[in-house]
Amino acid sequence: MRWQCTLLQRWLPEYPDGDLPAFWRGRLQVHLERCPTCREELVALKEVEATLQEASAADPGPEFWTEFSRQMHLKLVQADQAGQMAPTPTSPWWGRLPYLVGAPALAGLLLWLAVSYLTPERPGTAPTSQLATTAQPAAKTPVAEIVKEKSAVPAEKMAAVPQALPPSDETKNFIYTSQRNGNGGEEMAPDDEPDDLEATLAGMTPQERDAFLKKLCQHEKDGSCLRKFSAIAFA
Amino acid sequence: MTDAQLVARAQAGDLSAFEDLVTKYQREIYGLACRMVSDPEEAKDLAQQTFLQAFIHLRSFRQEAQFRTWIFRIAINQCYNFLKSRKKYGDPVDCDEVVLVGEDDTPEEELISQDERRRVYAALKKLPPKQQAVLTLKVDQGLSYQEISEVLGGTPGAARVNYCQALKTLKNYLRSEEDEVAMHPSPALATRVSRR
Repeated sequence: MRWQCTLLQRWLPEYPDGDLPAFWRGRLQVHLERCPTCREELVALKEVEATLQEASAADPGPEFWTEFSRQMHLKLVQADQAGQMAPTPTSPWWGRLPYLVGAPALAGLLLWLAVSYLTPERPGTAPTSQLATTAQPAAKTPVAEIVKEKSAVPAEKMAAVPQALPPSDETKNFIYTSQRNGNGGEEMAPDDEPDDLEATLAGMTPQERDAFLKKLCQHEKDGSCLRKFSAIAFA
Repeated sequence: MTDAQLVARAQAGDLSAFEDLVTKYQREIYGLACRMVSDPEEAKDLAQQTFLQAFIHLRSFRQEAQFRTWIFRIAINQCYNFLKSRKKYGDPVDCDEVVLVGEDDTPEEELISQDERRRVYAALKKLPPKQQAVLTLKVDQGLSYQEISEVLGGTPGAARVNYCQALKTLKNYLRSEEDEVAMHPSPALATRVSRR
């Protein structure tokens, strides 16, 4: 079978008097004149259609319909009395307006909440790493000033503490970040510094100090006492 | 009185208006169900069930489509459900038991006609339900492809392709049965074919 036959045979059931566009009717007419296979197919399809029409369900007779109507009436009355008829749908489109407006608004709100609470950096707060890197050059001055102003440690106490080595860059970053995040030392009362911890820190080598402060970094997540140590460490 | 007026009255609670609609369409719905399930008793039940469902949900019918199309759609869905359950739980009805009262004059003609019907119904039963539905709606009910697409879903073009495919498949089934008779002749089948 040629491709043209396959294409045109899709329209055969409509030929000659069916719902067929003029273009296809013309093409079919020309094709059927020279293609015996499609002519046979057309005859066969028309035969099947005729067979189907002849074999349609015959009318079962008036008694059948009388009985049908009687049974139907009983069922309808029963359904009517039982109130099975579904109520009229109440709302035209403006009845659903609150839902149409509310649904997108609710979706937007949920999206905003998801973005706000599921991302690590909340809106309005710059990422920690960014803060740390940008603040590196200026880290020394503000922290030192804040610490010196706010922690009015008595001179004799400070003198008792051995001269601390300057903190490493990592330590500076951490302290600055923690201050920017609200854990800074400006709220620290001067008398909060425990003397035994000062002594502990003073007796440490620089490596031990760094390790100790790293541990404190870990504890910060649990709400640690970093504020107390940061000023001491920096001093 | 038009369908729209009858529907409006029925929606307002007039039971007799709905019964008028039932009387108007009962033959078409019954014929459709007969074709689809090949069982007159089941077809009767399905037709009644169709009208009952239409009555129950009549108030949700907004008259955007014709009532005729709507009721055909309900009937087709009922038939699909029936065919699905029959496929699941087995077929209690043998197609040979289908006896429809014909209008033929002589007993001989009636026998031939019944034989022919049985053959066609047996072939129809092999078709997928959607093709059965398309054939029935087109040949028996004379719906256009546009109306068929409204009843069955899809586009008019898809309905036309389905119809063409169904006719071809049916032709092949009927022809293969004839070939089978020619290869393995049995008295009953040979008689049937010779009559054709």
